[in-house]
Amino acid sequence: MSLSFILYLIINTCAVLAIAPLFVSIIKKVKAWTQGRRGPSVFQTYFNLAKLLKKEVIYSSHSSWIMRVTPLVNIAAILVAALFVPLVFVPEPVGGIGNIILLLYLLALAKFFMALAGLDAGSSFGGMGSSREMSISAIIEPTTIIVFAALVFVFRTLNVFEMFIASAATGTPATPTLILLAISLFIILIVETSRIPVDNPETHLELTMIHEGMVLEQSGSNLALMELSSAVKLTLLMALIINLIVPFGLATTLTLGTIVVAAVLFALKGTILAGIIGLFESSMSKMRFFRLPSLFAMAFFFSTLIIIIEVFA
Amino acid sequence: MIDPAFIQDVIRVLFAVVIVTAAYIISTRNMISLVSVYALQSLTLVFMALALYSLEGTTVLLAIACITFASKVLVIPYFIATIQERIRIKRDIEFHFLSPTTSLLLSMALMLFIYIALAHIMEGTPGRESLFFFGAVIGISLMLMGMMVTFSRKRAITKVLGYLTMENGVLLFGMFVTKLPFIIEFLIIIDLIILVMLTTILTVGLDSTLEDYHNRLHRFHLVEDTEEGP
Repeated sequence: MSLSFILYLIINTCAVLAIAPLFVSIIKKVKAWTQGRRGPSVFQTYFNLAKLLKKEVIYSSHSSWIMRVTPLVNIAAILVAALFVPLVFVPEPVGGIGNIILLLYLLALAKFFMALAGLDAGSSFGGMGSSREMSISAIIEPTTIIVFAALVFVFRTLNVFEMFIASAATGTPATPTLILLAISLFIILIVETSRIPVDNPETHLELTMIHEGMVLEQSGSNLALMELSSAVKLTLLMALIINLIVPFGLATTLTLGTIVVAAVLFALKGTILAGIIGLFESSMSKMRFFRLPSLFAMAFFFSTLIIIIEVFA
Repeated sequence: MIDPAFIQDVIRVLFAVVIVTAAYIISTRNMISLVSVYALQSLTLVFMALALYSLEGTTVLLAIACITFASKVLVIPYFIATIQERIRIKRDIEFHFLSPTTSLLLSMALMLFIYIALAHIMEGTPGRESLFFFGAVIGISLMLMGMMVTFSRKRAITKVLGYLTMENGVLLFGMFVTKLPFIIEFLIIIDLIILVMLTTILTVGLDSTLEDYHNRLHRFHLVEDTEEGP
């Protein structure tokens, strides 16, 4: 493992932790604007996390060790997964880091523990949240796999780093396959981060909540870890879209200048994408549960089409 | 002179847009956005015709672009949007035979089938390796996807939109492969406009007498209520 790779590990983790809450706030801000409100400050998520980290953790008397380890497993799995998606600087891949299949499994591990914790506290809301989350996961999983398979087919590699290097080298955005892929990845992002047509991250209505239902029993610093991990997950999926579709500025050599430029550009591109997500959420209403498969079918359709084109053409 | 390779890239991107709009038309239930997406699809075809014109320089393509823009981007969507606004149906949630999800999956299979079939047919011809082959595949697929919309929806107005999508497929196929004579292209578009005008009547319904029809127009707010006579 070279020095540049160790530096990459540090830079990437710091960058993702620093910028993840900002994107969450920007989405909230855009949604507030479209509703005619002023909305919270863009630093509100940082303040919330800082406040929660100082608070005491309270466990239900029915809960077991699952409840205690879940926040740690969750943040660990998501942070390791974040290492697989370079934000500003792409080094040469080392070992299994960057493997797209491993990335999917890390995300699934985090989700699995979150669902277990939802059940563990013994509250009925948590159970409902977990059950819904798992039903949706079971439907979206084939689509996710097909979308990532399409990525692999387009770039002919299983490694995210090599994909980014290839897209940064060509530099031309918007080939037709990438447009279709971007739409599929966007749908995956919406589903995986529990955003509006699938789930509403802002309500605690018993009829609709999915993600919020599962973390309802978490408190204090544990809740902070859960919220941070969902913010990091959002950022890593956004980084996947940004660095594949509009890769210009992505640093492939380790110098201070390129990294600063790449970081600024990434923050800008991320802000725009967060704005798009906010507008998308505002323009939609939450879908009925049984209509969700038609949303997933869209992503499935596009990525299968890409695979057909890549295999036959 | 613009670089031909760049124009081919543009056309490929436009293909992607056509596929996205077709998928949306098949799966959406919101009728208001359906019309605007249809207009967007037609606009994509206009751009495609213009791109092809700059590649080949045939003036027919320019003429096609012009009449497509006038009829399918402006006139027809305007008509349909007006009807929709008046009959106040905003959603189409009833389906025959196929749900939107199934139609999407089926259209995927259709595309694969057409791709393989056309690849066999055009094997060895100069058109096989080029953009024109993709144009043909997407044109025929769009046609069949439009057909699927026509038979899987229950509302007349969505059926018409399916039919219009089908015609877009024919136009796309015509632009890339067979080079339909311009006069036929023109006649088809006149047909379409008449079809859409007829739809105005059909969606409101035909009645045995003009009085009944007039009452119905009132019921669906197609004419404003005027003051009653003495």
